Amino acid sequence: MNWNAWFRRGQWEHRVDSEFRFHLESQINDYINQGLTRKEAELRARREFGPLELAKDDSRDQKPGQWLDHFLRDVRYACRSLRKSPGFAAAAILTFALGIGANTAIFGVVHAVLIKPLRYSEPEQIYNVEVVAPRADSQFSSLSATIHIYHEWRKAETAFGAMSALKPWECTLTGDGEPELLGGAHVSTNFFAFLGVPPAHGRGFLAEEEQLGKDRVVVISDGLWRRRYGSDSNLVGRTIDINGQSHLVVGIAPASLLVPTGALLHPMLSFAPRIDIWKPIAPTKRELDPNNESWDYGLLVRLRAGENAERGRQQLQAILNRYYRTLLPESSIELRTQLVPIREIYAGKVRLRLLLILAASVLLLLTACTNIANLFLARVTSRASEFATRIALGAGRARIISQTLTETTLIAMLGGILGAGLAGSGASLLAAYGPDEVRLLSDSRLNLTVFVFAMAASAVTGILCGVIPALQSHRKDAAAGLQEGVRGALGGGWAARFRQLLVGVEMALVTPLLTSAGLLLHSFVNVMRADRGYQVERVLAIDLSLPGQRYLTGESRTAFYRELAGRVRDLPGIQAAGAISALPATSETSSNQAIFHATDTDLLSVVHERPVGMIRGVTGGYFAASGTALLTGRYFAEHEPTPVALIGESLANSLWPGEARATVVGRTFRQGDVTGPLITIAGVMEDVLPGASDRKPLPIIYRPYHQWASERATLVVKSAQETAAPAPAVRAEIRRMDAGLPIPAIRTMREIVSASVAQRRFQMMLTSCFAFLALLLGAVGVYGVVSYAVACRTRDIGLRIAVGATRSDVLRWVFSQGMQPVVIGLLVGLAAAIAMATALRSLLFGIAPTDPASLGGVVLALLLTSGLACYLPARRAAALDPMTALRHG
Amino acid sequence: MSRHGKTSTATREAELLQGTLDMLILTVAALRPIHGYAIVQRIQQISKDALQIRQGSLYPALYRLENRGWLKSEWKTTDGGRDAKYYSLTKAGRQQLEMETAGWKRLCEAISLVLETAE
Repeated sequence: MNWNAWFRRGQWEHRVDSEFRFHLESQINDYINQGLTRKEAELRARREFGPLELAKDDSRDQKPGQWLDHFLRDVRYACRSLRKSPGFAAAAILTFALGIGANTAIFGVVHAVLIKPLRYSEPEQIYNVEVVAPRADSQFSSLSATIHIYHEWRKAETAFGAMSALKPWECTLTGDGEPELLGGAHVSTNFFAFLGVPPAHGRGFLAEEEQLGKDRVVVISDGLWRRRYGSDSNLVGRTIDINGQSHLVVGIAPASLLVPTGALLHPMLSFAPRIDIWKPIAPTKRELDPNNESWDYGLLVRLRAGENAERGRQQLQAILNRYYRTLLPESSIELRTQLVPIREIYAGKVRLRLLLILAASVLLLLTACTNIANLFLARVTSRASEFATRIALGAGRARIISQTLTETTLIAMLGGILGAGLAGSGASLLAAYGPDEVRLLSDSRLNLTVFVFAMAASAVTGILCGVIPALQSHRKDAAAGLQEGVRGALGGGWAARFRQLLVGVEMALVTPLLTSAGLLLHSFVNVMRADRGYQVERVLAIDLSLPGQRYLTGESRTAFYRELAGRVRDLPGIQAAGAISALPATSETSSNQAIFHATDTDLLSVVHERPVGMIRGVTGGYFAASGTALLTGRYFAEHEPTPVALIGESLANSLWPGEARATVVGRTFRQGDVTGPLITIAGVMEDVLPGASDRKPLPIIYRPYHQWASERATLVVKSAQETAAPAPAVRAEIRRMDAGLPIPAIRTMREIVSASVAQRRFQMMLTSCFAFLALLLGAVGVYGVVSYAVACRTRDIGLRIAVGATRSDVLRWVFSQGMQPVVIGLLVGLAAAIAMATALRSLLFGIAPTDPASLGGVVLALLLTSGLACYLPARRAAALDPMTALRHG
Repeated sequence: MSRHGKTSTATREAELLQGTLDMLILTVAALRPIHGYAIVQRIQQISKDALQIRQGSLYPALYRLENRGWLKSEWKTTDGGRDAKYYSLTKAGRQQLEMETAGWKRLCEAISLVLETAE
């Protein structure tokens, strides 16, 4: 467009004026010359010219960039008309802000987790490789990898140009302050180059650093560097003490480095919730032994440009099977490989939940839309005479429609800007309280894409809300509108019916939203209530790790944990205390071994048929503290001279299907290998469920601590009080025993369980929040429509009372009129809700999609709130004085 | 924002004369530079007052044609010593006029053909 012309608007007006003046004066002069008086000449010239302003307006319309002029005029007009009714404007803007804010915040999360490219170079080329073994009742649907598989694959030429390995690692950092337990990973030396994320300071690892002896080098996280070393720029090149050995810091990873934490990479690999340190993988002789079958390697591969991933997968699978065939020639097991795109690592488990949350927020926005459309419709009807006047004065229908649309869009945009602000703080809340995936990938800063989304959503909803009122606004016949004025338009059946329809639509939207919230809430309650096989209340868990040099022998470790448990037990307010090598609720993956019958002799022939057990060493007092019940048999004695075990009920069932519990006691099994020692079963324990409790019981085997003495252990403490009050006393006791131990993380069992249901809770809370808002909006909508109807029909109601209707007749009449669309909308919504519930069946726990409690609750909640919303105006109607109503209504 | 929407509601006469008025203006302006008032006079004179246009509706048309690049304008002093805006045809305007005249003639021929056949 011509900006010069735009800026010279004043000049343009001036020129048009002088051109018109010249025209009129020439005409007047001509008429005077023809003999008319000046007055006559002026009148005639004016008449022939027509309305000056109209000519000017029409001329102005011919100018380029005129739409902008119109638009600004519309905006000015909209601002003026909104200023005149600030209450209405505020209500509408707030409603929009809520709806758009919620949507923007959720879209921000969806964008960060599901859409935005991961912070790697060419992230779409990176896959995680998993192995699928045909083991029938495995706890895991796939396996990670072993070091041998890694080495076989690495040396082969395939469609994958690079491969990187990583395995969980935990270590104690000493020196420069308090000892600290760090979450870390052993990685292949190419790790940082593989991801395309070089360290921010220093370097990554060198190829030769994967040799034992040269591997005392580490890269630390940006967080650790800032936290512990105050961003010391000289740290690179210095040594730090890890597990009592000095390590050279060669690099500091960038703050933005994204690495899998927890069980994100693979359920068999449990990384710490935060990774602070990386060290090269330098396999020991023992690790390289062909009999080492530890599936503790996670493998990432990068597809070569232009290569086909499926071809690469088949190549890896062929190599894998060839390797196992050379190792076990008579084995007939066919292993499969599967590729998981790296995004799935981070997004796979939350995708469905996130999309459902997004759907819920869209439903909320639509509810807000119908409400606002309704408000505008009421406003348009009440301004019918104004529109009629303007149409009579020559305003085109297009202009009237565009003005109404401008008004709704303006409100929506204002709401959108406010909403984007809300979304900013909402996003940081979501990032802070969301599950790991969301926490890792979200950035709480409002980025451009998300802002554009907010504005686009505002514009679309603004137009959506405005289009029906806009069409309605010019619909009235100009003359009729002028004559009838407000009252005539109000009675107008079309608008009234439409407003009722909108209420119905609103209810049909709110119902599925409320239903899914109800179902998720009920599932959540079920999950939290499920009997996990351990106490959740009044139980503390303290993670400890004994450094290898000082506690070399199993005896010394056993002595330490026994002593500690004993001392803690003697603290005031403590009911029980005991240690377990790894808490079943959180560390599902450590110490898993195949369990063999005593009669098994050939490992290879049975290894894929036998169940995998989770081996846990426990000290005395553990079961008293955890509350896990003994079903049959006996607890461990203080000293067990021969190998014994307590076995979980479900594992006993899969080892000896269909046999009574009592007969299992006294039987023997082997763990890990068919040549291992025979272990006698002392008793059968109650099953233990994972923290989220929505999967099957864990196949657990307890051993006396001195027979399974890990370095790491978790002290479980049951206190008499409700709070975490004993924590400081416990910590002091640990200090007293060994001041060199890292400060233990003390968590309550409730926190642990609550962390394991983070995804579920996240979805439940958000959906409930949206449903509550939608319910509120729905009630406001019903209230608005009914009280508006009452206001318009004051005369009608007065007449009814005057001719003998009782107050309760009026009450009933208004009430039933108001509830009619609610009930219809509710019925339609219920059908949609059940369809929706069936779709989210996989997210439910312990209930059917048609859960009567949830559905009943929803119907009740909706009927009660909308009933109240109808009752208030109905009562007002019933209290009308017929005389006043008839005279002034 | 709809330019055409507004124009169409402007005046009934303008709608009636939409195509013709443009052509007449171009024809009149083709001879020599001429100001708005003279254009009105000229059109009424040529058509022997058969075509009545509301004078005010001439200007939007002039601006539209100028905006399309068919007319150019300049302020000059009239013989009477007043400042007036003079319109003249551009090269594109001349081509447009030729096209429209040809089109108009074809239309007239077609219509008279229909009328004759109908009789």
